[in-house]
Amino acid sequence: MKFDEKIVSYFESCNSPVDKKGYLFKKGEIKTSYQKRWFVLKGNLLFYKDRPDDRDLTGVIVLEGCTVQLCESEEQFAFSLVWNEPGLRTYKFAAEDQASQESWIKALLSANHSYLYLLVMDLEKKYRDLVGEFASEPTKAFTMPNLSSAQPGLPSASLSTQTSTLPAYSATVAGAAFSPSSSPMLTPPNVSSKSASKRSPKLWPKRSANVMPINTPSPPLGDWSGLCFSTKDEFGKLHEDFGKEVKVLIADWLRKGQGGAAVQGEDLIDFG
Amino acid sequence: MRFNEKELVSLSRQPSEKAAELGMRGPKKGDVVKKRLVKLVVNFLFYFRTDEEEPIGALLLEQCRVEKEDSQTFSIAFLDEAEKKYLFECDSEEQCGEWIDCIIKASYEFMRKNLIFYRTEIHRLTGKDPLEQYGISDETRFQVSNGLQLMTRDTSSL
Repeated sequence: MKFDEKIVSYFESCNSPVDKKGYLFKKGEIKTSYQKRWFVLKGNLLFYKDRPDDRDLTGVIVLEGCTVQLCESEEQFAFSLVWNEPGLRTYKFAAEDQASQESWIKALLSANHSYLYLLVMDLEKKYRDLVGEFASEPTKAFTMPNLSSAQPGLPSASLSTQTSTLPAYSATVAGAAFSPSSSPMLTPPNVSSKSASKRSPKLWPKRSANVMPINTPSPPLGDWSGLCFSTKDEFGKLHEDFGKEVKVLIADWLRKGQGGAAVQGEDLIDFG
Repeated sequence: MRFNEKELVSLSRQPSEKAAELGMRGPKKGDVVKKRLVKLVVNFLFYFRTDEEEPIGALLLEQCRVEKEDSQTFSIAFLDEAEKKYLFECDSEEQCGEWIDCIIKASYEFMRKNLIFYRTEIHRLTGKDPLEQYGISDETRFQVSNGLQLMTRDTSSL
């Protein structure tokens, strides 16, 4: 199966957020010795190369359908990524110390797409419930810079008159969150409150993938590709389970001392 | 570059709400439109020859530009290069619009931005950080910007 290396490599090296990076020892796929590699976690992709500044990627592991487990190993601070289906592999790693091991396990557990999806759905619902309470507060479009001109058949004109845009997303959002009088987008826009509610729910102007607004009023939950949950319950429960598992595991580690003892086949949580 | 191919193929078999036969044209000069079963699973777009089990390829839907090309066609461009532009022909304008919508929303980075937006808004409206109840407010992946911590704000102006 083709998997374009340039596209993947570009994603690794571009300035999108890095969720975690650092050295880990990885058990070889052919040789069984552990090799020290530099790992970069972005979203549900775990990249690895020899050194942080290397231009060439040695490899990437797509983190979907696997569980993170402690594993039996002659190495200390070991853990593994396990795909439970027959024929699928297990990747074994060893961290440099317990803190690193815990931190990597935690990061990898929540790296999969569904975790973030559920979390976003949960917050989206909370937000919409809140906006319902603040009756005078119109729901705001999550707008990104560079609104392009209208495409045939697309009502982007209405979008641009009813919401304000930010010149630069990240700085202004951060700024607006902390200072009282900044971006018009993040303070109640008095002008547009009435017209906002008349906005068509199906706005989708031509825009690049990483500068997309979310529609408001947002499309129903089912529009998010793939999943349709009772989001609050789902994520809440997921997180509770996650928290319990991690607590048990940490208690276990502490009892056995430094995570060196083998804990065989213990599932932290199954995201697969 | 090594990758976990079998596991990725396994991912391509997961249920998806967005799978359809579309006309697909690759990015290279001379590539022609071919009928492919195109399937969206998380932030990957898999494409299969009709009735084949294993996908021909997988496209990672991050850092890409999705655009409407004409009423029934959309494109996905990578690396800001025309040479990495894939074309997809749909059966209707509506289908085309739905695919664009879904692909954009499937991106991990898009979800992250939404998360940060909602987190900021909820904090602004309530004075509370919604991630605190989950104990994940400190995680770097959810920071508003450069690790700035959310502080309580006076929301009496609302």
